Amino acid sequence: MIAVAVGTMPNLPLSTSAGSEAAGQPQVVLAVVLGLLFALGTFLILRKDLVRVVWGVTIISQAANVYLVTMGGLRGAVPIISHGGAHGEVTDPLVQALVLTAIVIGFGTTAFALVLTYRVYEEHGTIDLTEVSS
Amino acid sequence: MSEHVVVAPLVIALVTAILTLGVRRYPRAQRAISLLGIGAYALAVLALASRVFPIDVLTGAGGSTGTLTYQVSNWPAPFGISLVADALSMFMLVLAVVVVVPALAFSVLYVEEFGQRVSYHSLFHFMLAGVTGAFLTGDIFNLFVWFEVMLMPSYVLVVFYGRAEHTRAALQYTVLNLLGSAVMLVAIGGIYATVGTLNMADIARRLAHAGEYGIDPAPVLGLGAILFAVFALKAGIVPFQFWVPAAYRAAPAPVAAVMAGVTKKVGIYAIIRLLFTVFGAATIESGLGFGMAGTSFLGLFGPVLFLMAVGSIFLGGLGAVSENDLDGVLAYSSIGQVGFIVLALALAATGSGAVRTIGLIAALVYSLNHAIAKSLLFMVSGAVYEAVGSIRFEALGGLSTRRPVIAGSFFLGGIALVGIPPLTGFFGKLLVFDTAGKAMVANGAFADVALAVALAGAILTIAYISRAWNRAFWGSPSDPVIRSYQPTTMVAIVAAFSLLLVMLGIGFDPVYRAAEAAAHAGTEWKVYVEAVSPEVIG
Repeated sequence: MIAVAVGTMPNLPLSTSAGSEAAGQPQVVLAVVLGLLFALGTFLILRKDLVRVVWGVTIISQAANVYLVTMGGLRGAVPIISHGGAHGEVTDPLVQALVLTAIVIGFGTTAFALVLTYRVYEEHGTIDLTEVSS
Repeated sequence: MSEHVVVAPLVIALVTAILTLGVRRYPRAQRAISLLGIGAYALAVLALASRVFPIDVLTGAGGSTGTLTYQVSNWPAPFGISLVADALSMFMLVLAVVVVVPALAFSVLYVEEFGQRVSYHSLFHFMLAGVTGAFLTGDIFNLFVWFEVMLMPSYVLVVFYGRAEHTRAALQYTVLNLLGSAVMLVAIGGIYATVGTLNMADIARRLAHAGEYGIDPAPVLGLGAILFAVFALKAGIVPFQFWVPAAYRAAPAPVAAVMAGVTKKVGIYAIIRLLFTVFGAATIESGLGFGMAGTSFLGLFGPVLFLMAVGSIFLGGLGAVSENDLDGVLAYSSIGQVGFIVLALALAATGSGAVRTIGLIAALVYSLNHAIAKSLLFMVSGAVYEAVGSIRFEALGGLSTRRPVIAGSFFLGGIALVGIPPLTGFFGKLLVFDTAGKAMVANGAFADVALAVALAGAILTIAYISRAWNRAFWGSPSDPVIRSYQPTTMVAIVAAFSLLLVMLGIGFDPVYRAAEAAAHAGTEWKVYVEAVSPEVIG
C-alpha cells in the first residue's frame, strides 16, 4: 500500500487541457455523474438511519475515486506503453495507481464502518441516529 | 543521497505493530515486544535527530541544521516517494517520542489484560507508524496514506471499551474523518491535475515559478483551502472541533493523551508544511479578491486562521469552564490551547520576516508544551480513575491530602497550561504574546485584537484549571477518595513525566534553538526543495 510509486509522469503534457479535444463527450458525462454521486452521498449522510449514512460516506469516497481517475485526463488511451517501441498515445497511469491505493483504504474503512454500525445497534438497540445521540 | 536512518523509525513502528499481533497468545512477550519496540523507536528518532540537529546548533555555537532525505526504492524525486527529515519534521517527531514513550508505559498498567492481548499494542504502534509517516513524508498523496494509517487504529482505539457512549463517540469521529479523507482525496487529485506533481518540493518550486511551468495558481489556492480544512479537522480547530470532546472522553486515558498530544499536532504540522513550505512562494497575480491585500497565498490563510483561532480559544475556554469531569475539561481545554497555536500561525501568515519567524517559533514551542502538559493531564486523569474509580467532580475532592503525588502532577501540568515560569508553558505563552507585540509594532493586521484574545484566553485557562483544582483536589476528601488506593507504578510514571515539564522549562535554551531551526526549515522552501532536489521536468 505504501510502496505505490507516486510522482510525476515524464513526457506527458499536463493532463486536463490535453484531453479535451480527443474525448469531449465522456468528460461531460462523467462530470454530471460525479455531481450526482456527490449529491446522492451528501443526501444519504444527512439521513437519520445509520446504514444510509454509511452508504453515503461510501458513495462519496467512491465518487472521489472516480474523480481522481478523471484528473489524469481522459484522452481515450490506455495507460500502457507497449513493448517494441511503437505505441500510440498513452494516458497518465499515476492516477490509476493512486485510485488503487484509495480503493484499498476504502475497503478497510467501509468494513470498519459497517462493523461499528452493528456494534451501535447492539449497544443502543436502534440505528436511528436521533435516538442514538439522545 | 538516500539515508536509511530516515526510514528507520517507520520500519520499527510497523514491525513492532505486526510482531505484537503475532504473539497474542503470550501476553508477557507481547508487552515486552511492545515496550522494546517503543524503546527502539525512540532511539531511532534520537539518532535521526542528532543528524538533523548537530549539537552545536542546540548549544548556540553556530552551525546549521541538516536535511536528510530518503527516496523510497531509490526512485528519484519527484517520481518516487520522498521521505524528508528536516528540522521541522524532527521537532515534531521528537515531540511525539516524548509523549508516546510514557503513554505506552502507562497503558501497560492501565488498560486491562484482555484488551491489551486482543489489539491494544498493535493498534498503538500502527497509529505511531501513521504519525511518523505523516511527519516524514514529502509527498502529498503519501501524506493522505499516512493519515489513513494513523486514523484507522484511532477509530478502533476510540471505540475500545465498546459500550454505548464509546460507540456513539466513535461513530461521530469515524464518519467525520471518512468524509475528511474523501475531501482530501479530491483536493490532492485537483492539485495533481493543476500542478502536475505530487512531490511537495516540486509543488513548491512549480508554484514559485508558476508562469514558466504554465500553471494557473488560482485553482491551487482553492484546492489548498480544501486541504487546509481537512488538516484543521485533524487538529480539531473551530469550526471542525465537535468530534473532540466525545472522542477524548471515550478513548482510554493514555490514548486520549496521545491523540491530544500527538495526532492533533499532525494536523498542525501539516498546516505549517502546506502553508509555509509548499505554498511559501506561491502568489496569485490577479490579487486575492474579497478586499484582501497582497498576492501571496498566505494573505488569504492569515485572516482565516485568525478567525479559527479566536473561535477555538473562546469555545474551548468557555466549554472547559462548564464541564463537570476531568476528561471533559481537558478535552475542551485542548480545543482552546490549539487555538493559541493557530493564533501564532495566523500572525506568522500575515506578518513577514521577523514576525513570521517568531510566530512559527511560538506555535512550535506552544505545541511542545501542550503536547507534554495535556498528555500528562490525561494520564493524571487516568491515574485518578484507577485510584478513585471516577473522574466526575462530584465524586472527587480532597485528592491533594490523600494522593499528593497525583495532585502534584496535576498541579504541574495545570500551571504549565496556564503558563507560569519556569515551566515550558510560560515560554509558549510569552512567545505568543511576543509575536502579537511584534506584529503590532510592524502594523500587522488584527495584531491588537490577537493580543486581547490571547489575554482573554489566558484568563479562561486560569479559570478552568483552578476550577478543576478546587473541585477535584482541594476541600475535604470525599468518600470515594478516602477509599482510594495508590497505583504506585502508574503514579511514578506520571510524576516522572511531570518533572520533564520543569526540566525543559529550566533548560529552555536548546528547545528554543531547535524550535527556531524548525521555524526556519518551515519557511525556507528553497532549502527544502534543494534537499529533495526533484528532477526538472518540462
